[in-house]
Amino acid sequence: MSEFVQYLVNGLTIGAFLALIALGYSMIYGVVRLINFAHGDVFMIGAFAGFGTLTTLGVTGGTALPAIIAAVVVGALTTGVVGTGIAKVAYVPLLSSPRLAILIAAIGVSLALEEGVKVLTDARFKSYPHALDGGRIFSGAVHVTWGQLTLVLLSVVLMAGLWLFVTRTVTGTAMRALAMDRDAARLQGINVERLILTTFFIGSMLAGAAGVMYGLYYVQISFGMGFLIGLRAFTAAVLGGIGNLPGTMVAGVAIGLVQSFSAGYVSSRWTDVIIFGLLIAVLALRPTGLFGERVVERA
Amino acid sequence: MVPARAEAAARFGGWPLLVVVALVAGATMDDYALTVAGTILIYAILGLGINIVVGYAGLLDLGFAAFFAIGAYTSGLLMVKQEWNFWLTLPVAVAAAAAAGVVIGYPTLRLRSDYLAIVTLGFGEIIRITVINLETTGGPNGLTGIPPVTVGGREIVTPRDFFYLALAFFVVVLAATALLARSRLAYAWRAIRSDDTAAEAVGVPARRVKLLAYVLGATAGATAGPLNAAQLGTVDPSSFTFLTSLMILLVVIIGGMGSRPGVMVGAIVIIALPEVLRTVQEYRGLFFALLLILIVLLRPQGVWPYRPRRLRLPAAAGPAPELPAAEGTLLEVTGLSRSFGGVTAVDGLDLRAAAGQVVSVIGPNGAGKTTAFNCVTGMIAPSAGTVVLAGRDVVGRAPHRVAAAGLARTFQSIRLFDDMTVAENVLIGRFARDRGLLRPLSRADLGTVRRCLEFTGLLDAADRPAGGLSYGDRRRLEIARALAGDPRVLLLDEPAAGANPTEKRALMELIARISALGAAVVLIEHDVALVMSISDRVTVLEYGRMIAEGPPAEIQEDQRVIAAYLGVPDDPETDLVTEVLR
Repeated sequence: MSEFVQYLVNGLTIGAFLALIALGYSMIYGVVRLINFAHGDVFMIGAFAGFGTLTTLGVTGGTALPAIIAAVVVGALTTGVVGTGIAKVAYVPLLSSPRLAILIAAIGVSLALEEGVKVLTDARFKSYPHALDGGRIFSGAVHVTWGQLTLVLLSVVLMAGLWLFVTRTVTGTAMRALAMDRDAARLQGINVERLILTTFFIGSMLAGAAGVMYGLYYVQISFGMGFLIGLRAFTAAVLGGIGNLPGTMVAGVAIGLVQSFSAGYVSSRWTDVIIFGLLIAVLALRPTGLFGERVVERA
Repeated sequence: MVPARAEAAARFGGWPLLVVVALVAGATMDDYALTVAGTILIYAILGLGINIVVGYAGLLDLGFAAFFAIGAYTSGLLMVKQEWNFWLTLPVAVAAAAAAGVVIGYPTLRLRSDYLAIVTLGFGEIIRITVINLETTGGPNGLTGIPPVTVGGREIVTPRDFFYLALAFFVVVLAATALLARSRLAYAWRAIRSDDTAAEAVGVPARRVKLLAYVLGATAGATAGPLNAAQLGTVDPSSFTFLTSLMILLVVIIGGMGSRPGVMVGAIVIIALPEVLRTVQEYRGLFFALLLILIVLLRPQGVWPYRPRRLRLPAAAGPAPELPAAEGTLLEVTGLSRSFGGVTAVDGLDLRAAAGQVVSVIGPNGAGKTTAFNCVTGMIAPSAGTVVLAGRDVVGRAPHRVAAAGLARTFQSIRLFDDMTVAENVLIGRFARDRGLLRPLSRADLGTVRRCLEFTGLLDAADRPAGGLSYGDRRRLEIARALAGDPRVLLLDEPAAGANPTEKRALMELIARISALGAAVVLIEHDVALVMSISDRVTVLEYGRMIAEGPPAEIQEDQRVIAAYLGVPDDPETDLVTEVLR
């Protein structure tokens, strides 16, 4: 029983940042109908930016909440700029090309980021400073650390902020309009290109924040970390019904749980087989995801 | 005839020439160059395979290395564990990959292109992780100790021998894919790539066609697996990663999707260029990545783009379209209803159309006309009612089956295959009559295309891309495509929308000629004057309900129609409109 609860806690923690990454996939898909293949690598860039911040600040261990927040902010801003730059250079020129072209460009960008960081870091792993509070909240058979709570709270705050932004602000409303019909949105005077770039900025920021959180939690990062995590997060976005933000949040947490339980009860070697098997099964039975999707395919 | 022959020589002369060059090169190159050349041929075979899936059928596959792996492991396992001969393992390896093509293809047929990409990627990862985790496949170390291939008692061990073996494989796969590219299936692939809904509606069995793309692509690509195992003597799971899948995809993207010469160019670039840049090995991935981005941005069609082959239509003018001889009622719709949530879009529609008749359905926007059409053609399932087509109940059938039963349609928003030529568009309409896939175009196919083009006056435009036609010609091309299936019933959805008076007169004349052939024509139209002048009977819908049915003269007098469709009686404006109608 305590084993089960432990996996549950771990799964929720992982799910907290998987959901953040998944939201970026979902938002970007909503406005440009693109599976942003580079999104997982943007997440990786965020982890490295956070690493740079923490080492610059001289954090080597112990508990440092202000430093954590600084790292998350710097990581998010860096990826926001990187993500927007990518969109501007590689995606916006292809908006009116066939959909395949922009997807292939995204694959190219993904590979370029990964290989670029690989060259810069000599393909080495980097060890994150232990900045999370390792102290336990409960002193029982189940480990729940203050650090885990910090990550989950941070994620909840970011998701709540996103939700308020999308539903309560003019820009957020314009974003939803853009997701429904690009041409109609343009005719209403929305600056489509700028709004697309804004979406990339916000989506990439979430991924960057998640990257820092990942680094803090797993304490080890590398150039290749974005590939599998990105795929898992994308699976979450699809299961949640891509473009459907609440569905994506729920599915992100659900994938975190699947990951934790499959590692605990089966073997971490089979985790991705289980996740992708689930993805294929769900899509075969419900092509629009578990919760249905909000975006409609234009004829 | 000379230009045609020169064109043919340029088209077919290239490959034999290349094979000759390859044979000469094989005799002169050193071992290192031969090893690289062998690898190029392996990637060219993989490229020919993925070209079927991505280039012809337009289904993005990001896990193609899975089929490569399945081919290699099946063959390797049989050779190592069962001590089979290489040549015996070959058909088994290919069959295993074909089965995997069905497994991955079948559940994903309903998915849209970008979900498909991710599912194929996931499938590729599943295969890779599975072979690493299982003990029978040798785990992370892979299979080792694969015996060399023997040909006529001679062991293939030197790079030169292997190069010739790979060349033989390549030539066989190339010939097979070249035959495939000329089959009816290849045209069906291009049609579904362009617009699968329209293709299905004119008689292409879209799901079967997509599944065949997976299976045949997997089959072609899988032959590279055993070859790779034979080259290395081992099967190494690290050679089937996502990067491998990307490299295979890059082969067709660099070369030009759908282009077989392009595959050769792509394979050379992908394999030989990194060898040239060997001194900067660690930048290899970065180099590929930037190459990919640059190609998509600067030359999205690839370095050797696909050029469609011109359809050779028969020179002689053919007779008018021969519609199946028919009499009496051809289409009988009774009690057709369809609701979406709480809204009843069509409520108890009855519609009859006999051979040689023109029946029109009119009604204000939102009256349910197009929904009714979609129910009749099988694009959406009706909630209730029957549709009997020439004595056969077709309700609830897939659109391509309804089309095959003799019902052709056009779309309100014109749906042509824009990147195919006019003649090829018409050819796709022919699938309603003859659904053969794995055979070349028949004389009957080409004859029909010519007949339909002539009938609609589009013969001069036969080789132009459909996307470049004028609006009126696009409307006519849709009708020509519908006629190519020799339909008994032709449904036209607002064919006069946006047409000028001259085009409208030409359209009316065309409709009259079609009904004179013995087909039943059902028309949805807003142009009341046009409807009244060519229809035998008119049905009026309002809010999904039939409010009147009868010959045009009666409809024009019907007070309910005038009230509902044109305005309130005794209103001066309505009187004016009524005047105009007469």
